[in-house]
Amino acid sequence: MHFSLGLKLLWRDWRSGELTLLLFSLIMAVATVTTIALFVDRLQQALMQESATFLAADRVIRTAEPIAAHILLKSDQLGLQRAETISFLSMVFSAERAQFASIKAVNENYPLRGKLIVAAAAFERGDIVEQGPKTGEVWVESRLLPSLDIQVGDLLDIGATSLLVTKALIKEPDPGAGFDSAGPRVMMNLSDVPATSVVQPGSLINYRYLFAGDNSALLEFSAWVKPLLSQGSRVISVKDGVQGIGAALARAERFLLLGGLLGVVLAGVAIALSAKRYARRHFDHVAIFKTLGATPNAVDGLFLVIFSLLGLLATVAGSGLGYCAQLAVVSILGPYIPIELPAPGVQPFLLGLITGFVCLLSFALPPITRLRAIEPVRVIRRDVDEPELKDWLGYAMGVCGTLGLMWWYSQDLELALTLFSGAAVAVIFLYLIASLLLRTSRLVGMQAGSAWRLALAGMHRRGQENTVQILVFGLAIMLVLILAIVRTDLIDSWQSQIPDNAPNHFAINISPADVAPIRELLTENQIQSEPIYPMIRGRIIKVNQQSAKTRDANASTDTRRGSGPRSGATRNLTYATLLPDANEIVAGQWWPASYRGPALVSLEQEFALSNGLKIGDELVFNIQGREVSALVSNIRLLNWDNMRPNFYIIFSPDALAEFSSTFMTSFYLAADNKLFLNDILRTYPTMTVIAVDAIIEQIQNIIQQVSMAIELVLGLILVTGAFVLLASIQASMDERLQEHAILRTLGAARNLVMGSLIIEFCLLGLFAGLLATIGAEITVFALEVKIFKLAYTPNLLLWLLGPMLGLVLVGIIGTVATYKVVRVPPMIVLREI
Amino acid sequence: MSKTLTNLENMDTELIDDKIMIKTVALGKTVDTSDGQLTILKGIDLEIKKAETVAIIGASGSGKTTLLSILAGLDVPSEGDIYLAGNKITAMDEEQRARVRGQMVGFVFQTFQLLGSLTALENVMLPAELKKDPEAEQKAIELLQRVGLDHRMKHYPKQLSGGEQQRVAIARAFASTAELLFADEPTGNLDTETGKHVIDLIFDLNREFDTTLVLVTHDNRLASRCARSIEITSGKLSKQETLI
Repeated sequence: MHFSLGLKLLWRDWRSGELTLLLFSLIMAVATVTTIALFVDRLQQALMQESATFLAADRVIRTAEPIAAHILLKSDQLGLQRAETISFLSMVFSAERAQFASIKAVNENYPLRGKLIVAAAAFERGDIVEQGPKTGEVWVESRLLPSLDIQVGDLLDIGATSLLVTKALIKEPDPGAGFDSAGPRVMMNLSDVPATSVVQPGSLINYRYLFAGDNSALLEFSAWVKPLLSQGSRVISVKDGVQGIGAALARAERFLLLGGLLGVVLAGVAIALSAKRYARRHFDHVAIFKTLGATPNAVDGLFLVIFSLLGLLATVAGSGLGYCAQLAVVSILGPYIPIELPAPGVQPFLLGLITGFVCLLSFALPPITRLRAIEPVRVIRRDVDEPELKDWLGYAMGVCGTLGLMWWYSQDLELALTLFSGAAVAVIFLYLIASLLLRTSRLVGMQAGSAWRLALAGMHRRGQENTVQILVFGLAIMLVLILAIVRTDLIDSWQSQIPDNAPNHFAINISPADVAPIRELLTENQIQSEPIYPMIRGRIIKVNQQSAKTRDANASTDTRRGSGPRSGATRNLTYATLLPDANEIVAGQWWPASYRGPALVSLEQEFALSNGLKIGDELVFNIQGREVSALVSNIRLLNWDNMRPNFYIIFSPDALAEFSSTFMTSFYLAADNKLFLNDILRTYPTMTVIAVDAIIEQIQNIIQQVSMAIELVLGLILVTGAFVLLASIQASMDERLQEHAILRTLGAARNLVMGSLIIEFCLLGLFAGLLATIGAEITVFALEVKIFKLAYTPNLLLWLLGPMLGLVLVGIIGTVATYKVVRVPPMIVLREI
Repeated sequence: MSKTLTNLENMDTELIDDKIMIKTVALGKTVDTSDGQLTILKGIDLEIKKAETVAIIGASGSGKTTLLSILAGLDVPSEGDIYLAGNKITAMDEEQRARVRGQMVGFVFQTFQLLGSLTALENVMLPAELKKDPEAEQKAIELLQRVGLDHRMKHYPKQLSGGEQQRVAIARAFASTAELLFADEPTGNLDTETGKHVIDLIFDLNREFDTTLVLVTHDNRLASRCARSIEITSGKLSKQETLI
């Protein structure tokens, strides 16, 4: 109804600088959220794409037999790209020598994601190529060339056919971690496979069907195809493609999201503060409007128009600014980000737009709605009480807005509630402490020098405002501390999960006679290795006299807990005297080293949970045709991502000693020491070595990228935090200007005024830092234990860092921001009041 | 005929008298303080005729400004009734009082009360704009010419002297085509010479527009230019004097 007048006022307010702070806060809020959202979106997309390179596709169907043609037809109808690979183990021959190799045959579309790197000679750096070998050609892993005593350009026999070695294969996107990579890789064209005659009915072959394309089409395809696949076939997506990556990505997503949430909270506080200041500065204007005949409804209408336009302007400008900021971040960091970032989607802009309006509604509207209640008599008597907003309404709107945004962002009510309740408890608790600190400081100030007395008197006089200001500073610092601590713990826990010298090769099929010499060889060559474990195939046939098959059949998918495999399947068993490293007993007790009694077993936690097995249960195993009975003695927790020999079931010492077994271990081999594999394999030809170094390198690469993203988000949050501090200082600027102008008129030196300001802000910062530390400890405890599932340790450094950070940050920002107080001549200030 | 509200629900027909612009009945105002209730005004009965010029005088703290703010509908009394051109404004809510002010009342304040973010012209246009008068700008330009500020139209209040600001405020007061003009110490912030010019302007325009003028002052010279003076002492009407 007052659109044109509202438009005019908006323009005039803007021209006169009245709106600058509020508009700037809003733009910053939207820009921060949009920047984070855009960057996170692009990074997430990039990480997903990068992770897709583990599969060489977005989805893979892995199966032991070819899949039906109509499945491939369906994927074509959905517009998906597809490629095929098959892999098998076979001997390959040169003129003089033979070697057991892992053969992968690929068609012309392979790979759909990730890169193949090949070189003209063994062990060179190599170049990226888009496709696999042509018909009649073969590429071989570098170490196979010296092992077969051939060069690029020589012929290699596979089964009944001879193929020309045209390249050394340096890197493939999906090396695989199982028997696919048990020997050195040989890559050939799929169309050459029939000529080899190696693949016969009954051969052990892995068929992999690779798909890539639009996410919604992929989801539709996965859902459609799953029920059609035979048992033993699996649809693998990026997230479960490789162990370790899925969990790392999920945590990273949560953290980045958390960063976004904190950004919103900080921005909300900044908006609330600037809106309050805007409203206060318009009390007189509204009184004049009302004197001139504006009704309360007209006042509402007027400011609704102004604020809607403001919101629109801020969200558009903020989104634009956010886009530019994100472009700048990407261009600055581009050289350090090892992956190419895809173009951002529309969603982050929508996020910024909605965030802007929700922030405006929840944080800016409550103070603005107070304007309708301004009494017109204010034009004559300035001492009229300012209308108080029903406090609960303002808080309720802020609470609902914040919580709503948090929930919407995270799609995770528990995370939103944990964060929110942590902050709420902290706010109440900290408010009380802040009041106490202010009272104490007043008592101290009575005996202090003049700048101190002035500062402390000032703090005490604005007691209510300062308590709130300490809270705001404290909250901002608290959020930054929380983010910093969680980030450090998160990154540390990832990096310790796969340390730099983590085992990167598994050696299996070691015969009993070779155990001692191999151990010696590894030690001689100073190769760090894990203990050598016996490995015996066997399966559980009875649990407490009940058939394991029946139990498995009865356990429906719904009632199964945990993600371990079924009890009745055949698996690798071992026996050990000592608890393997990185295993932790969560129930029962590990047997003494000297134990040689009746057979006991130790079960992995997920396996026990999934199959309802507990301590004291009697298990009967079928091992090499004989029955072995054992009691469950303890349950172990272990980390499957640590690249060590890990077992679901470990027997007590010597319990399986009478069975024939092979042995396994894992060891770390540096990239430049790769030829050692040829030596060891030539000496012990029955042994198989599975290389996982490529996978480890990729996991470490992802962790590095995610860590960098986290650092970036932290940086952005810090900027928003500083902005909240500025907005909070601006909110008290008018009063400070007036007070200090009067003081200076009365003869106070600039140094005294400046000194009192520095002391005041340093003290406010110190108090805020102290409060932030307390709040951060409480929230971090809840977050790490409940959300990120990390172990919590109190952070002593925090108790030094928090208060110091507060003192320095608030001290500097506060002093710089209020420098105007001493710079503007007092006469100008007093005339404007 | 006095302008009346379109909504006549608060019109007391017995009190409609074309000649009476303001009537108060047993008007009183008390406020709560930490020391108990404080009486600011008590038992004020007065009538002000249309086109009359009345000065409310009294010492500082006597209650004269409070009386003006209540008469103008800016504040509400604790007891008694007020009628503006027959409209019982004590029975109205803020929404209705605002409409009365918009249609009938103009103000000139000691502290000018111009909006710092608007130019002189925009300040003068404001009352007409609030009434959505399409000729707001034209009327404002004419009034600024009338107060001798046509060369300062695009200036902001802070670029104008005190006297010029008050002239803008006077132009704004008459821009609402008010029948009733309230002035609170209109020369209080001005030097003698400028004050005299401003007063001349108020009285000239008052005659020209045939408005009723109620002004609060402690300046006897200014009071003496009004037809009648009402003296307030300790919240009570202590003396009424016809001067012209």
